[in-house]
Amino acid sequence: MKKVLLLLSMVVLMPSCAGLLADQATTPSLIDQAEAARKEADALGYEWRDTAKLIKSAKEALEKGLQAESDKLASQALLQSRVAAAQGKYMSKNWKMMILKY
Amino acid sequence: MKKTIQRRLFTGVLVLMTTMLSGPAYAVNYQALVDVDVRKFQNYFHKEFPQVKLEDFSSGVYALDEDARKQWMEIEEFPPYELDIEAGKALFNKPFANGKSLASCFPNGGAVRGLYPYFDEKRGQVITLEMAINECRVANGEKPFPGKKGDLARVSAYIAFISRGQKIDVKVRSAAAYKAYMKGKEFFYAKRGQLNMSCSGCHMEYAGRRLRAETMSPALGHTTHFPVFRSKWGDLGTLHRRYAGCNENIGSKPFDEQSEEYRNLEYFQTIMSNGLKFNGPAARK
Ligand code: HEC
Repeated sequence: MKKVLLLLSMVVLMPSCAGLLADQATTPSLIDQAEAARKEADALGYEWRDTAKLIKSAKEALEKGLQAESDKLASQALLQSRVAAAQGKYMSKNWKMMILKY
Repeated sequence: MKKTIQRRLFTGVLVLMTTMLSGPAYAVNYQALVDVDVRKFQNYFHKEFPQVKLEDFSSGVYALDEDARKQWMEIEEFPPYELDIEAGKALFNKPFANGKSLASCFPNGGAVRGLYPYFDEKRGQVITLEMAINECRVANGEKPFPGKKGDLARVSAYIAFISRGQKIDVKVRSAAAYKAYMKGKEFFYAKRGQLNMSCSGCHMEYAGRRLRAETMSPALGHTTHFPVFRSKWGDLGTLHRRYAGCNENIGSKPFDEQSEEYRNLEYFQTIMSNGLKFNGPAARK
């Protein structure tokens, strides 16, 4: 019984371990993640005004060796893009609800 | 069992009939659908501002405030865009390298403001006046005028000026045109940007109220008077320049001038002002 459990847990855990390892090897940088998310928001027509500027500043900070500053800017851009994309998806489905009742 | 089969048959026939009806044999009256929207839209403003006559909505925010209106009328007596109209006229008649000119592309001596925007059924897109001006240049081997101000706005101002008084009567005649209209409508009502605001939020719900130093204009009449000379800009700008400004103000990335998004928005907004008259160019704060 114990053996079976051990085997089972290995089977269950293996892929996620493998996933983790693979993730670590290929996880894109925060800047790349932010840029990909920005593009998605843009494709929906909902990119925010300052997101591209934030990414640009993050890149500049990185070039100056300011990793923490760069990460801060990139995660701001990432968050903006994700909210913008969610906004876009929500609005393209529900915009008619925004029409005033008149 | 028999009943179920009957019911299924009946539904099948119904479905078949509706698909046949919505096919080319049965023309949906898109204009009628749009006219219902126009009526509702204009009624909203009549209810909000019962003292303002329909044609006065083409004065924008100055239709709502008597004092501001008086100041504005004084400005319009010696309009800041006068020289731009002159320059636009010269550009309109100036020969291209091939001997033709902008004047060769437009009928009626260039008094064509009332023909735009329209949905070009063959090309499947909305054509604006500014787009037509630049397409005429390109078709004659010239470079398009850049951007959303300068010479493009000057020619547009001249055409608007000699077309003053033309009635707005933009049509929606096909499924494709209706689709463009609906996209413009979506743009107008959807909230966007960091502030999560829509055009209708500011220019319907909050029309007539103040935002910092400015009173917000009613969306009815928004496209009658462009291009405008804004004292804030210190020069002339197109409608799409204004759209970009309003998009930026709510923290949303603006679209390019003459982008499909802004052309559809212009189409929708102009249709909402059907029945008003073109009265551009105009001065604004
Ligand atoms: C946060 C509020 C706000 C939002 C949202 C907004 N605007 Fe504006 N808009 C203004 C203000 C303020 C002005 C300047 C005063 C006025 O209304 O003329 C203005 C001016 C304009 C004008 C010029 C009016 C004139 O008489 O010349 C147009 C056209 C316009 N907006 C269209 C739009 C469109 C289309 C949208 C949506 C894409 C939009 N606006 C979104 C606040 C807003």
